[in-house]
Formats: sequence, C-alpha cells, structure tokens
Amino acid sequence: MPSLLPDKLRTVVGAPHVLTGVECSPYAIEGRAPEAVVFPGTKEEVAAVLQLAAEAALPVTPWGGGTKMAMGSPPSRVGLVLGLGRMNRILEHEPGDLTVTVEAGLTLEALQSALGARGQWLSLDPAAPERATLGGILASNASGPRRHLYGTARDLVIGLTVVMADGSVVRGGGKVVKNVAGYDLPKLYIGSCGTLGVLVETTLKLRPRPDVDRLVVTHFNRLKDAGLAARAVLSSDLIPSALELADGEALRALGHGGGAGLLIGLDGIAEQVDWAIAELTRLLAPLGLGESTVLDGEARDRAWRDLARLGRPGTEHGSAVMKWAVLPAQAADLMDAGAAAAQRNGLGAALTAHAGVGIVTAILSGGLDTNAVVATLTEWRALVGGAGGQAMVEWAPLAVKERVAVWDTPGPTLRVMRRIKERLDPRSILNPGRFVGGI
Amino acid sequence: MPPLTDARKKSLRREMEQLLGPGSVLSDPEELLVYESDGLTLFRALADFVVFPRSAEQVSALVKLANREGLPFVARGAGTGLSGGCLPAEGGLVISLMRMNRVLEVDYDNQLAVVEPGLVNLHLSWAVGPQGFYYAPDPSSQQACTIGGNIANNSGGPHTLKYGVTTNHVLGLEVVMPDGELLWLGGKTRDPHGYDLVGLFVGSEGTFGIATKIVVRILKKPQAVKTVLAVFGHVDQASEAVSAIIARGLVPAAMEMIDHLTIQAVEDAFGCGYPRDAAAALLIELDGLAAGMEAQAERVLAACRDCGAREVRAARDEAERQLLWKGRKSAFGAFGRISPAYMVMDGVIPRTKLPYVLGRVNAIAAAHGLRVGNVFHAGDGNLHPNILYDPRKPGEEARVVAAGAEILKVCADVGGSISGEHGIGLEKADYMPFIFSEADLACMRQVKDAFNPDGRCNPGKIFPNNKACVEVGPAYRPHPIEEKGLAQRF
Repeated sequence: MPSLLPDKLRTVVGAPHVLTGVECSPYAIEGRAPEAVVFPGTKEEVAAVLQLAAEAALPVTPWGGGTKMAMGSPPSRVGLVLGLGRMNRILEHEPGDLTVTVEAGLTLEALQSALGARGQWLSLDPAAPERATLGGILASNASGPRRHLYGTARDLVIGLTVVMADGSVVRGGGKVVKNVAGYDLPKLYIGSCGTLGVLVETTLKLRPRPDVDRLVVTHFNRLKDAGLAARAVLSSDLIPSALELADGEALRALGHGGGAGLLIGLDGIAEQVDWAIAELTRLLAPLGLGESTVLDGEARDRAWRDLARLGRPGTEHGSAVMKWAVLPAQAADLMDAGAAAAQRNGLGAALTAHAGVGIVTAILSGGLDTNAVVATLTEWRALVGGAGGQAMVEWAPLAVKERVAVWDTPGPTLRVMRRIKERLDPRSILNPGRFVGGI
Repeated sequence: MPPLTDARKKSLRREMEQLLGPGSVLSDPEELLVYESDGLTLFRALADFVVFPRSAEQVSALVKLANREGLPFVARGAGTGLSGGCLPAEGGLVISLMRMNRVLEVDYDNQLAVVEPGLVNLHLSWAVGPQGFYYAPDPSSQQACTIGGNIANNSGGPHTLKYGVTTNHVLGLEVVMPDGELLWLGGKTRDPHGYDLVGLFVGSEGTFGIATKIVVRILKKPQAVKTVLAVFGHVDQASEAVSAIIARGLVPAAMEMIDHLTIQAVEDAFGCGYPRDAAAALLIELDGLAAGMEAQAERVLAACRDCGAREVRAARDEAERQLLWKGRKSAFGAFGRISPAYMVMDGVIPRTKLPYVLGRVNAIAAAHGLRVGNVFHAGDGNLHPNILYDPRKPGEEARVVAAGAEILKVCADVGGSISGEHGIGLEKADYMPFIFSEADLACMRQVKDAFNPDGRCNPGKIFPNNKACVEVGPAYRPHPIEEKGLAQRF
C-alpha cells in the first residue's frame, strides 16, 4: 500500500476513524487482514474514500455489522475495509406514508425499536438483528422466516443510494411505494455482495405492527409428515406469516426433542389468529400431528432467535452451512436425503426450511474431517442440482472453500453479469473475487 | 440508416415468411397503421414490418435478422400501454407476441405458472381460478393487456397496495437478448445466484430484450372479501381518510379514490351506484380470512366517518361489489363519453401529501382552462389525473401536455415519482431529470449498455432527449406532433 494513503484517509474521515496495522486484525476477511479500515461518517466521505482507493487501485470491501463476511468466495485481493457503522441514522420516518429512509450502517434492531415506538415494523427478520445492518442485509439479501408472507429485501426496498466505484453518488428508485421511473437499480444492488457499489442509504416500505403475533410449534414423527403438513397449510385458507420445517436435529437444538417439526407464524388481529390456531389443529390432526405449543412474547422471540442462530457460523453446530433453493414441494424429501448423505460421511446434520418458498438451510456438524465435509457438500450440491435447484455454501472453513465452490457453476447469464460489473466497476476494486463466477 | 428500398423490403418479407410461415408478416402501410401507436395516441410511428412469431426460437431468429440488417426492433403485446413504450422507431420491426399466448404449465403444489408473453393478464386468473388460485397484479386493462407487456412496464393495479406489483410476482424469465441469444434469468426457485437480472428486466420497458416465457407466482384466492364505499362532501376528507385507515393499522387490499367529475362520467356511462353529487368516493377492499373481517371493516368505516364521510356502506353481495368495481375499472372508458379525448397522468406521491397535491392538480388544470378527472390508487399515492380535451381545438393538446408536465413536476417536488405503473416510454423521457440526476441516469445507461449495447432493442425510450444514447436506426425525423411543437418539451 502506498504509504501516503493512510494519511490521506485520515484527512478525509478524521484520524480516529482510520485503523492500520495490527488494529485491522478483527476485520480480517477469510483470514486476511486488510491494509486499513476506514469509517466514514457521511456519504460524501464514502465517495472521497472510494476515489482514493480507485487512485491507489486498492480493493474495497464494505463492512456493516460483519455478520455475513464469511459469505462468498475468498476474495482475490484484500485492501481497504470500509466500515459503515458510523452511518447509522434514521433520516426520515413518516408513519402515515409507511416508509422510512435510513443510513446503511443502522442495525436492524435499532430500526425496529424506533419503528415499534410508532406502531410499525420492517417485515424482514434475518439472523443477528442486533449486529446486522440494513446495508449488509441488503447487500447479502439476508432474510428470515417471515419472508413466507412478507417477501425479501427486493419486495421491501423502494429506494437506494449507492456510492459507485468512481466515487459518484447514484440514487435508484425513490421514496414512494410505487415507482416505475427508470430501471429498477435497487434490484441490481440487493444481493450484489458489495461488488457494484457501496450502499449508503435506503428507503424501505413498512407495515403496521400486528395486534397479535404467535408461533405454533407442531411436532410430527417424521420429516415426511411435517412436509405433508406444510403442504396442507399451503393449500388451505390459512395465511401464515412463517412456515418453517425443522428436522429432528434442528428441533433438538431448539430444545424441543426429536421427530420433526413445523413452525407456523400467525399474526393479525386476535380473531384471525384465534381462528387460525383452531383451524391448524383441525387441519393437521389427521396428518399425524403430535404435541403442539403456542408461543407468544419472549418465548416466541426466543424460539425464532434460536432457529436463526442454528445457521450462523461459529456455533457448535457449524462445520459448514449450505443454502439450497428448491421447489417447495420437494423440500422435505431433499432434506431427508441430505441428512442421509451427511450420515454416510460420518457427519451430523441439522436442516430447516422456509417451507413455502423452498429455501433450505443445511447445517453440517462434527466435521473435523475436511474430506468428509467436502464430500457431503459436493453430494448435497448434486442432490439439489439434480432436483433443478441451486446450492450455495453460506459458510465453511477456508480449507473447505478451497475445494468446494461457494456458488453453483453459473450458466450463460454470467456473461450479462460480467458486462454489468465491467461497466459499473471497470477496475474491479469493489469486493473483487467474492461473487458468482469470480466477479 | 437510409430507409429500406422496396426491393430489400420484399426480400426481407420473403425471408421472414419462410421463418414464420404465411400470414405472419405485415408490411402493407395500411396494415401497419394499426401498430403505429399504443394507448397513448399522442405519438405515432410506422414500422417497416409487424411480425407474429409463435415460439422463442422464432423471436430469436427475428432478432438476429434485425441485427444482421441493422434494423431496430420492439416487442409489442396488446398495445394498451400508456406511454408510447412499444412504439417502433421509424422503420424496423414490431415483434408482436400476441400469438404466443399459451399457459404452458401450472404447478399448484408450488404455486407457480409458466406462461407465454402474449397471454392476456385476466386469462391467467381464469385458467387457475377453478383450482382456487389467481394472479394478483390486476391492471385496469387486465381484460386486454398481456403478461409480457406487464413485465415490460412492471404494471400495477388496484390490489398492488397489499400484494405488490408485477415484479413481486415474477420468478423467472426466458428472454431473447438484444443480440438474439436465448437464455433464462431466474427460474422456478427463489434467490437465484448472482445479480437479480429478473428484477432488473421487469420494468425495463422492452429495452433489455424480449421475454418469451414467464414464471409467475399464483396465489390462493382469499377466503373472504369485503368492499366498502365511503362518500365524501370534500376531496380533502377522502384524502385524510386514506391516511386514517393506514394509521389504524390496516393495509387494505385496495383503496381507490374517484372524484366528482369521474363519478359523473361513470354514472352517465354505466350507472354503478355512486352518488352523483359526491365530491369524492373511496372504494376500499379488504380481503383475507373470514374471521375478523367484520372487525376490520368496522375499523375502516369508523376511520371514514371520523374524517367526515357523509355515507359509508359495505357492498351487500358479489353483484354490488362487481358493480362498484366496474365503475372504478371503467372510469377511463367513461371519460370518452364526456370528452373527445383525454390524457392520463401517472404521478406518485407520498400518500400524506394527497390533499396538497390534489389541490395543485386541480389548480394547474384550471389555469390551463382544462377539466381534470381524478381516479386513482389512493392507498399507494399513485395519482391518475385524466386531463380532458378536444384535439380538434387548436392549441388545446399543447396546453394538455404543458399541464401534464406541471403536474408531474409537483409530484417530483413533494418527493414522489413521475410514473407509478405506466412507464416512461417516449412520453415522459424528457421529465426524467425531474427525479434523477445526471449520475443516476449515467448509471442506468451503463446498465442498458450491458444488455443492449447496440441500442437496437426498443430505441429512443426512457432516457431524456436521447442525446447521450447512441441509437442506431433511421436518421432523426421529427414526429408530426413534434412539428406542431408538442413533442419536444422542456
């Protein structure tokens, strides 16, 4: 790194907001510490930092709460980490418009708590809300169980401000809930893993908080039965906010014993939720429903948190985590087959699924043997690919990632993606190498 | 590029007929006239050919042929668009997708359908209706408009308040890229790896390629529906009621406003049961579980009464509900009864700004000596001022265009947008700087360049003045409207 750069960075953001040398080690990416970490306080400072990085041809990795830094292929180069934690303000909240505009470094929990005070919420519930920032959630397209009813970031973001690789500030979308003027740039940036620009502000659609919000944990003997129960719920009149399949291992980790489970979120006004709970019992009783528990308040929140924590790296369960996207009706069978594959390789596995949308989180445990982890992930990818789905290594030790591709082999659309990347980040300084096809 | 010679036209026509079969190519100027404009008749342009492929492979072959010949091309559905988005460049190909109108697959277990782009929107709901499903985005033109056209414009409709617009319902697209390559963006499963090219393609107004197969979500029909009509003596009361309903924690499926002039037109034309002397009416629809429906309806009624509604009632039965909706969905047609022509605007504003902006809309129209009827998606803040005029009166069309621009400027100035669902097309391209900076537009041009580097795919749309997008196509010729001083605005 050119020795003058840290000084230039300090001039831009102020000396206390630049880390160098050993101070950078907490910001290592896949084991490689950056050359400097810089914390701008405004989007103008972000732009100035990017201009400096561009001049020095130094890669830049945006960093929100750091909860998803293990996602993606190992970076081809590590240069600057650009921390957005200081940019954590709510810029505009007009409750009557059901919209909010925030800076990217705001944590989800801080946002929810401010919105909650006005009777509203952002209907997005990814893991680790106390650390995850809005910018990071959008960049990694993180979501949680309530995507079943409320969708993902692409359904909730109505505007984005991005600092481009050349330091220019670009706004896409707007501040109104319906808008087709120009290309839908927010869609492009959501899930782009920081490879096209640094998200600095976003405007989001909100919802009124429901009067009542409950979680019904239902038990079945076999995952197959829980899967059939999920399909029965999907073809009924019920409108659950979440519909989660959990295999025996996942249930055990939630402190709910073995078998298999279907976790159903129900929200709305009291009459609706009461009716729905009764209807669930009626619907599922003939399908082998065992014990069933209705959770509310802190117990409900804890159960959802524990479920989300299962798939987080660094817990005792996490030797590797894979995310599958499959057809909803196939989820339970593929989960069973996946668990069997892990067992054959001498590993444990816990699997959960957003059953209505076919997103499976497959967690491999007990994997001190890298060969066994590699073999299982490879089998899982083949299993999912064979069913027409996609599999992504969401987290794995570096030694595993060196042998198993994080992303599926991209198809012919990679050409289009590369062309977009080349045009928006021609020198490839934004988080290079982490994304699909080496973007 | 010089116009095609007659001999060249003949040989191209022969080549395309061989490709598509007889009866699939129009090149007679009389026949081409039908395709010279869309629902916005202010702009007109003639293609060299209108072609009717029946398969993705045929579309791909046509696009490759157009590239070989250096001809511009544009996809067209039912032509119900309202921004000139599917107008041909002068010359070139209009690729009509109306013969690709099949439902290819319905997967009820996974709640999705695979359809061709020429399928009429409502026909999809008809196809899946017997199994208790429907396709949620419901533009007012849904009896005619196609799913492919909905993809191009990211179309909305009354029920988008609760269910979202087209983009929220599309999982995958098979597209013919502007160079003729056939490829899939997304598919049947969620969260496809890589950039969200489906999200980018939807709403790109036909400038990124031509969708040839579309995977959409289908939804279970709600168990119960409740439709409420609230009648107000003042427009401001109706606007306030919209916010009051939201403030009571409700997100209705739809919340539509109809003003005095529109009520008169609708009652004259169809007699749907709206009180003729009302200043404004709100049509509010709740849907979902039967349990709790009455309680929610009570909240809505109370909010309307608190805002001064002089009458509130729920539709007694499905027939009355259909009649109320007929009034709403046929309003545009009803304007035809009271005015020789009208132009519909499509601005969006934060819904809390409704009283202010509606006042400005009426004042602007009055200042230009024009009448305006408002019928719109109040819950989303998506305004549709319909400016009524007589094109035969000299200068009136020019005043309409000027008033329209002023209205959109007001929308932009309160933090809104210049289009909520109709698209930018030709009509609003010059207004893009109202809401986007040079840097914003430069980024969009880069993205366009990634899909459509030669600019042959639907040239001349979205970007202001076309000055920086180098389009192939014929040398610039002013449109008749432009010659009258109407098309080149600001």
